[in-house]
Amino acid sequence: MSFLVRQIALKSSGEEIVRPTTVEGDVLTIGRDAACDIHLPDLAVDPRHAQVTRQSDGSLVIASIGAQPFEVNGRSTTQSPLDPVAGAELTFGGHRISVSVDAESGEATFTVRRVEAVSDSAEDKDITTVYTLKGLLPGKRMSAWTFAILVLVSFLAFPIYSYMTYKPLAMQEKARRPDGFHADQTWSSGPLSLAHKNLGGDCQACHTQAFVAVTDKACLTCHTKDAHDHIADKSRLLKARGEPEGMARLQRAVATAFNRPAGRCVDCHTEHEGAGAMPATQQQFCADCHNGMKSRLGDTKLADAADFGTAHPQFKPMIISGMNGKKPLFQRASWTPGLTENNGLKFTHGQHLSKTNGIAQMVRRMPGRFAANDALQCKDCHKSDATGTRFKPVVMEDSCQSCHSLSFDQVGGTFRTLRHGEPELVVADLRAFYRGGAPARPANLSGLARRVPGDAALRSTAADYARAVRFYPTRAEQAVAQVFSQGGMCYDCHTVNRGGSMASGGFTVQPVAQNDRYYHKGWFDHKAHNKSDCADCHVNAATSNKASDLLVPGIDGKGGCRSCHVGGEGAKLASVSVKDPVDSSCAMCHSYHMDAGAPWAPKKDRKKDVAQTVAVAERPRFPVKLR
Amino acid sequence: MASIAPRKRTGATRQRTSTHEGFLTHRNLFWAKLSAALAVALIALYIFVPLPGTHFGSSWLGYTLGTIGALLILWLTMLGMRKRAITPGRWSLKGWTSAHVYLGLCLTVIGTLHSGFHLGWNVHTLAWALMLIVIASGIFGIWVYATLPQALSSNRYDEEGAITEKQMIEALRSLDRQIHDAAQPLDPETATLVGKSLDEDPFAGTFWNRITGTYPKCATRSTAAELRRIRAYRPRIANDPLDKVDALLTRKEAMLGRMRRHLKLKSWLQAWLYVHVPVTFALIAALSAHIVSVFFYW
Repeated sequence: MSFLVRQIALKSSGEEIVRPTTVEGDVLTIGRDAACDIHLPDLAVDPRHAQVTRQSDGSLVIASIGAQPFEVNGRSTTQSPLDPVAGAELTFGGHRISVSVDAESGEATFTVRRVEAVSDSAEDKDITTVYTLKGLLPGKRMSAWTFAILVLVSFLAFPIYSYMTYKPLAMQEKARRPDGFHADQTWSSGPLSLAHKNLGGDCQACHTQAFVAVTDKACLTCHTKDAHDHIADKSRLLKARGEPEGMARLQRAVATAFNRPAGRCVDCHTEHEGAGAMPATQQQFCADCHNGMKSRLGDTKLADAADFGTAHPQFKPMIISGMNGKKPLFQRASWTPGLTENNGLKFTHGQHLSKTNGIAQMVRRMPGRFAANDALQCKDCHKSDATGTRFKPVVMEDSCQSCHSLSFDQVGGTFRTLRHGEPELVVADLRAFYRGGAPARPANLSGLARRVPGDAALRSTAADYARAVRFYPTRAEQAVAQVFSQGGMCYDCHTVNRGGSMASGGFTVQPVAQNDRYYHKGWFDHKAHNKSDCADCHVNAATSNKASDLLVPGIDGKGGCRSCHVGGEGAKLASVSVKDPVDSSCAMCHSYHMDAGAPWAPKKDRKKDVAQTVAVAERPRFPVKLR
Repeated sequence: MASIAPRKRTGATRQRTSTHEGFLTHRNLFWAKLSAALAVALIALYIFVPLPGTHFGSSWLGYTLGTIGALLILWLTMLGMRKRAITPGRWSLKGWTSAHVYLGLCLTVIGTLHSGFHLGWNVHTLAWALMLIVIASGIFGIWVYATLPQALSSNRYDEEGAITEKQMIEALRSLDRQIHDAAQPLDPETATLVGKSLDEDPFAGTFWNRITGTYPKCATRSTAAELRRIRAYRPRIANDPLDKVDALLTRKEAMLGRMRRHLKLKSWLQAWLYVHVPVTFALIAALSAHIVSVFFYW
C-alpha cells in the first residue's frame, strides 16, 4: 500500500504548481525534518511531528510522535482516526493538509498547502499607512467631530436649555432660580460687581430676553427706590451727550445695527468687569454731557460745567424770598458777595460776635456759661444736627432767652415769662396779669399805720388808691404796647407792625423762617469741614451788622469753596491761590441719581454715618414654580 | 517644499548648492515681519488708545480685535483645504503656509488683547485657551518640522545609500525568509523561539512605543538573547545552524532598530497634528458658542 502526497506551491503569478510523490509503506511521517515523508518547512512544526499509520483493518490513524499537538478539522489533538473517504483537514503550523481519496488509484491522498506566510512581515502591508500613526491614535476627523460636538453641546445647547427652562422667571422681582449650577453661567464674561454678586447664578435677572440687550426695565425691577432718573427723557440725554466721534461713532453704529440701543443704564453701569465694588463716578462721565451742553441742548436751564476748578458756574443758593403766611417762600438766586436774605429777624452776627461790646462784657461776667469766656461763639447758638451735616434751627428758648429774657413777673423765686412765638398769648397773659392783680397798697392804708392827725391825708390816699385799683386793668394795654414797641421785649429782635387783631393788641410780628439748606443741587457736609474754623468760610460773620446779610459762601471770593477745592485733576483758575488744594471731582458734591441724601460714594470712601440708599436686590429664593 | 534650481552652474564644483527656501524664511520673512508689525501696532493701540471704560471685549477696540481674530481663525483653518491644492507663485502653498504660521503666532496677541486680560471659568476663556493650545501645538509642529527631517534622512542613509520605506519592509522580509530557512534544522524548542521573532509584526506597538522608540517586549531581541543563552552552554560545533540564525537575527535587530527610529521620527512629525487639527475644530465650536452667547445675552 502507499500514500499519495501532493505538495502545492504558488508561483509569483498566483498559479499553483503541484508536485505529487508516492510514499510506499504503511507509515507516513510528517515533520520539518527533510527526511519526513511530508516535509513541512515550518518552524512551528517539530522535526518529526506526527505519523499516519495504516491499521491492520486498513483504517488510518494519525498520532503525534512527540507531545506536540496538531489540528484535525480545526480541533487540537495528539491522536485521531482518519477516514480518507469522508475526508479531513490537518493543520500543522502554517501548513494545511487535506486528506482525501485519489479518484484514479483509490489511494489516500495528502494535499499539502502553505497557508500562512513565512513571517508576519511577509504578509501584505499597506505601505501608505503602516508608517503613519493611523490606528494608534483616534483619527483626526473623528476627534475633531467629537470635540466640536462636545463643546457645542456643553457650551451652547445646554446653556440655551437652562435659559429656556427658567424663561418664565424673567422680570419677576420675587422669583429666583434655585441655587446651584446653571449652564448659562458658563457664558458669564466675568464676575459681577459686589452689589450684584447674589445675582450671579440668575442670568435672567438682567438678560430677560434672548438676543435683546439688557433693558432699563430689568434694572428697575429691583432698583425701585434708588434709581432716580437724571433725565427722564432718554433722547434728551443722548442729545446732551452729543454725537459720538471717531471710533466711538463706529461703535455706536455697530451697536445700533446689532440692536444694542444707546442711553441705557448699562451704558454707564457696565457689568461683568470684576468682583470689586462699583467705582466712583468719573468726572469724565459728567463732563461728557455737561461740558458745552448749552450748545447741544439749547433749551436747558443748566449752565455748562466741566471741572470744578476751572469750569463750574456760580452757585445758586436757595434763599427765602418772602413769606406765605407762616411758610417761607424760596427762590434760587445767583450768589454774589452782597446777596441778602430776609429771615424776619433783627439779629446781627457782628454785634453778637463782637469781643468788645456789652455782649462780650456780659459773657465775661458769667464765666462757664458760654463756650468761651471772652465773647459769644458760633456754637453758643448753632447746634449741629444728628448727622453733623447741617445745623439745627436756632431755638429762641435755648439760645436767645438767657439774655433776651421774657420774664415779666416774679412769684417767690420763680420768674413768669411771656410765651414766645405767640403774640396772642403774650397779650392775654399781660391782660390777665393786670386784671387779676392790684397795685401795691400804700402802707398808710393799713390798720397799723401811724396816723397824722386829721383824715384829709388818709382820705386822699384812699381816694388815690381806689382810683388806682379802678384803673389798674387798663395798664395792661400800656404794657402790651410797650412790649411790642421800640424798647420792648419783642421789638428787640422782631419786626413788629401795626394792623393785628384785637387779640394781639393790634400788633403783628413778622414771621421768622430759618433756612436749613442753601445748596440743594450740590451736597455740602459740615462734618467733613469740622477741622476748619467757621469763619474760614463764613468770613463776614464777625463783621456783619445787617440782619439780612447772607453769610453763606459762594464758589469763589474770600471763603469761597475754590479757596481749597480744585478740579478733579487739580486744575484751578490762575486768579485763585490755593494753599492746601483738595482735588474735587463732580461726584464729591453731585450725584447722578440725585436725591436728598449724600452723593453716592464707594463703600471705602463712605463715612459710616452717611445714610446710603441701596437697591432692594435681596430677592427671596423660591423653589422654581413653572407654569 | 519646493527647491529652486541653482541659477548658475559654473561646473567648477560638483557640490550641490541648496537654494531650498522653507516656509519659515519664505519671501525674506515677509509674513513674519507683517505679523510682528501687526502685533506691535495692536499692542500700541491697546495701551495708548483711550477707551471710555475699562479694556473689555465690548469696547470698539475689543469688537475689532474679536472680529479680526475670528476671521483669522477661520482663514487659518482653511490651510487644511488649501494644502491639498499645490500651486506655485505669489499665493503658492509655501507662501500660504508661511502666512499661516506667522499670522497664527500673531493670533496669540490678537486673542489675548481681545480678552482684555479678563479671564475666568467661562466659554470665552475656553475659546481663548483652546486657541492657545492650537497655537502651542503648531509651534511644536514647526519645531519638529525644522529639526527632525534631517534626523530622518540621516537615519535612512547608510554606506549603501538611502533606503526607502518600501525597501525597509522588503529588507525585513528578506531577512525573515533567510532566518526561516536557516532555522529549519533547529530542534522544536529553538525553532519555536525563532518562530516568535518571525511572527512579530514589525509595526506593532502602541503609540507610546512609537513615540519613545522603546519596545520592551520585542520578540526578535528576546529570541536572540534566549538563543545566545542556550548556545552558551552548548559545545561549539562546526556549521551550527544556531550560528547562522544568530547572525541573521542580529541583522534583523539592526534593521528593525533602524525602522523603529524611522517610525519614531515620523510619529513626532505627525503626532502634533492629532492635537492641532481636532482642537482647532473644538476651538471653532467654542468660538461659535462664544459669539452666540454674547449676542444671546446681549
